[in-house]
Amino acid sequence: MANKLQKYIKDLPNGFKITAVPLPGYKQTYTVAMANFGSVDTNLGQGKFLPAGIAHFIEHKLFAKPGYDVSEKFAKTGANSNAYTSYTKTAYLFQTLENPYDNLKILLDLFQHPYFTEENVNSERGIINQEIQMYLDMPEWVLEQRILSQLYPNDPIAADIAGSSESLQKINKDNLLSTYQNGYRPNNMDLVIVGDVDFDRVVSIVEDSPFEKMDQETEIKPNDFLPIGPGGQESMKISQSRAAFGIRIDTKLTGYELVKYQYILNMIMETLIGESSTNYQSMTNKNIIDDSFSYNVVAENDYCFIIVSGSTNKPDEFQKHLQDYFLNNDLKDVLTEEKFERIRRDAIGAYLFAQNSPDAIANQIAELQFYDVDYLQLIQLLNSITLDEVLAASKEIFKENKFTYYNLIADGK
Amino acid sequence: MREVLAKNVVLNVKPLTQFRTIKIQINFLRPINKDESTKRRLLANVLSNSTKKYPSFKAINDREMELYGAEVNAYTRSLLNFNDLGFSVEFADPSFLIGDTDQVENNLDLLGDIIFEPNLASDTEFDSTAFNVEKRNMMSNLQAVQDNQDLVSMLELSKLIHQDEPNKLIPIFGNEDQLRDLTNAQLLDYYHDAIANDFVLINVVGNVDPEKFANLVKDKFSARLLKQKRNDLSIKFEKFDKLIADPAHGQDKKEVNQSRLAIGYYVEKIDKEFSHLAPQAMNLILGGDDQSQLFLQVREKNSLAYSVSSSYSPNNHLLTITAGLDAKTIKQAMDLIEVQLDFMRSGKFTDEQIEHAKKVLFTRRQISSDNIQHYIMRSIWESVYPKAMLSEEAYKAELDKLDRKHIIAVANNLHLIADYKLIGE
Repeated sequence: MANKLQKYIKDLPNGFKITAVPLPGYKQTYTVAMANFGSVDTNLGQGKFLPAGIAHFIEHKLFAKPGYDVSEKFAKTGANSNAYTSYTKTAYLFQTLENPYDNLKILLDLFQHPYFTEENVNSERGIINQEIQMYLDMPEWVLEQRILSQLYPNDPIAADIAGSSESLQKINKDNLLSTYQNGYRPNNMDLVIVGDVDFDRVVSIVEDSPFEKMDQETEIKPNDFLPIGPGGQESMKISQSRAAFGIRIDTKLTGYELVKYQYILNMIMETLIGESSTNYQSMTNKNIIDDSFSYNVVAENDYCFIIVSGSTNKPDEFQKHLQDYFLNNDLKDVLTEEKFERIRRDAIGAYLFAQNSPDAIANQIAELQFYDVDYLQLIQLLNSITLDEVLAASKEIFKENKFTYYNLIADGK
Repeated sequence: MREVLAKNVVLNVKPLTQFRTIKIQINFLRPINKDESTKRRLLANVLSNSTKKYPSFKAINDREMELYGAEVNAYTRSLLNFNDLGFSVEFADPSFLIGDTDQVENNLDLLGDIIFEPNLASDTEFDSTAFNVEKRNMMSNLQAVQDNQDLVSMLELSKLIHQDEPNKLIPIFGNEDQLRDLTNAQLLDYYHDAIANDFVLINVVGNVDPEKFANLVKDKFSARLLKQKRNDLSIKFEKFDKLIADPAHGQDKKEVNQSRLAIGYYVEKIDKEFSHLAPQAMNLILGGDDQSQLFLQVREKNSLAYSVSSSYSPNNHLLTITAGLDAKTIKQAMDLIEVQLDFMRSGKFTDEQIEHAKKVLFTRRQISSDNIQHYIMRSIWESVYPKAMLSEEAYKAELDKLDRKHIIAVANNLHLIADYKLIGE
């Protein structure tokens, strides 16, 4: 057996977690700092919500500092920097050939020292508004929001991660700062470096760069979910119709068990509708789906759902076929021992593929740590899943009152 | 290790233990022909749908999963003036698996089955399910192009740029009219022609023994690859004199939220010694990253666009500027783009900007070797167009010598040849 990945870990007293993973043979160092805070974290309780898009706005505006932009500093060292916001996480990253320590200091400055002014907040609104307009032209993106608004009616997850033109108007320097102070506490963040670094030096740099003193924490409340929506459709000026079938799973699982559950759900979906399923072939042959057909299993924090989607000329048949199939088929008829072994092998392969990529390693470690899962132990997690567990899980998720749908009907162009 | 297995059949093996996977890729090349682009794309899809041994899409997917999630890819793309029909399989390095020592041979067999053992209904046609499903999928994908506004605007710009090169007027991924008329029998005829006559490149990168791998390829593919007289490749470059004298303009209106702008320039070669890196440095300062003039002036300072950038393609010497913006600000953005070009032509950029560009070019070059595909692409270029390749030393030397006057010279030899506006309404 070839060498496995190794990692070094340091948990600081303030709760900030630092991890380094050497990757022999690679020239780059890739570093990500992640906050366990994303676009859905807007519920202040008592019916009060932060404006949609505020996490993404913070991500954009943290680059601005008094008299400089952090990306300039990264650029001077030749590093490539970026950031992204998801439903539940915000991440800041750089990739560099040299000076990992100087770049680490720049990264710490980036997320530790907010500088929000009326002027820089106003100028960012125009840019983000253009970003929102760009996504509105993408039918897959629009469809995802529509199906989420059926799965979780009136919930922050159904809003665009970047917000809307209206919600952007409600974002200002004051709510940006208070939201930042809440979401970017050291015990709500971690940092992962993949590359050839001196770990003690990394730890020392982080320790010498303390977080700013935060105001008292405001608790972000979990969202109370309304009953699932009945489904719907709308016409859109596109050349092909798109359909999405949604399944909501209300689970109390958290941490390691939730991550394991996500693997189990993926195994169920691969067996029932994946490219290696009889059903996929049957839907293709009946011209209900094309090769854009796919499924996405999401299991994080309070949200657990599956979206099955694709382009289709027959959106009604698409929905009917999936509903009938999920309700009337027993997984044990198709998930044989042999099939189960293939799926397990496929997942092991995917794990090794990801290890070719410093960014995949860093981002997965950073994210999984919030679920108390050790990325280097994922094979053990996979091997711990039994066929019986998968069969049992499938009995719980296919219930008609947890299904919904949304169609975007092509209105020509 | 590089070995010419037969005339115009080249094998390259790059043994490396850096990666967790091994990748085998086989490319078939011939000049781009407008009557063949659609066929080649459908051929890639039909061949990877199923094979004689794995006669359904499900069967081939089951096999990929058995092989620890092997990733099979079949595609076409343009490479200089060639249509590159490529097939690859990437799979887990067996030294990371317990007890699976036949991974390399099993995956090579799978790739061989896909290319040389198609799923046929008869001597004259592919299996009808494979053909019909893939034709329908491809038609659906071609129709979906219209829902991707960035791609639409780039394709329209490409039509304007290549208006005198009919073979490039059909996108490399084909078009709906040609696809509609294409029959199963025609595609199988074309398959025999392509497999027998195209220039062939075989590459493998990863933890393999070069000699053993070469012997495997010869054993398995000798009859299919090594007995034919294959065509030579001849490189041709397009000329844009007519468009330089009289640039082409295009514009469409469409019900979309964001308007798109795409502008094409031809970069005239000015100095052989700096022909590789001077245009790339100029492009970086103009619009190549988030420190560029376009990003800082058009997006950050004036909030006119979320996306605005330039890219340079060294193979055809074309520089493209693209932007996504509000319809009302197109004129303002175009004026501002012109201001940035003047800024470059008059050499107003700082020494720091030059240093930054050089640093980014060096970093990108170095970091690219962290990707398995980098080694395959280098090997392809070495076989197809070695002149385009710079060694590490030559790259560093050209970069070290590169200065302000070379970048200014490139900017002053940048010729507008076409622009396209997709106006949202």
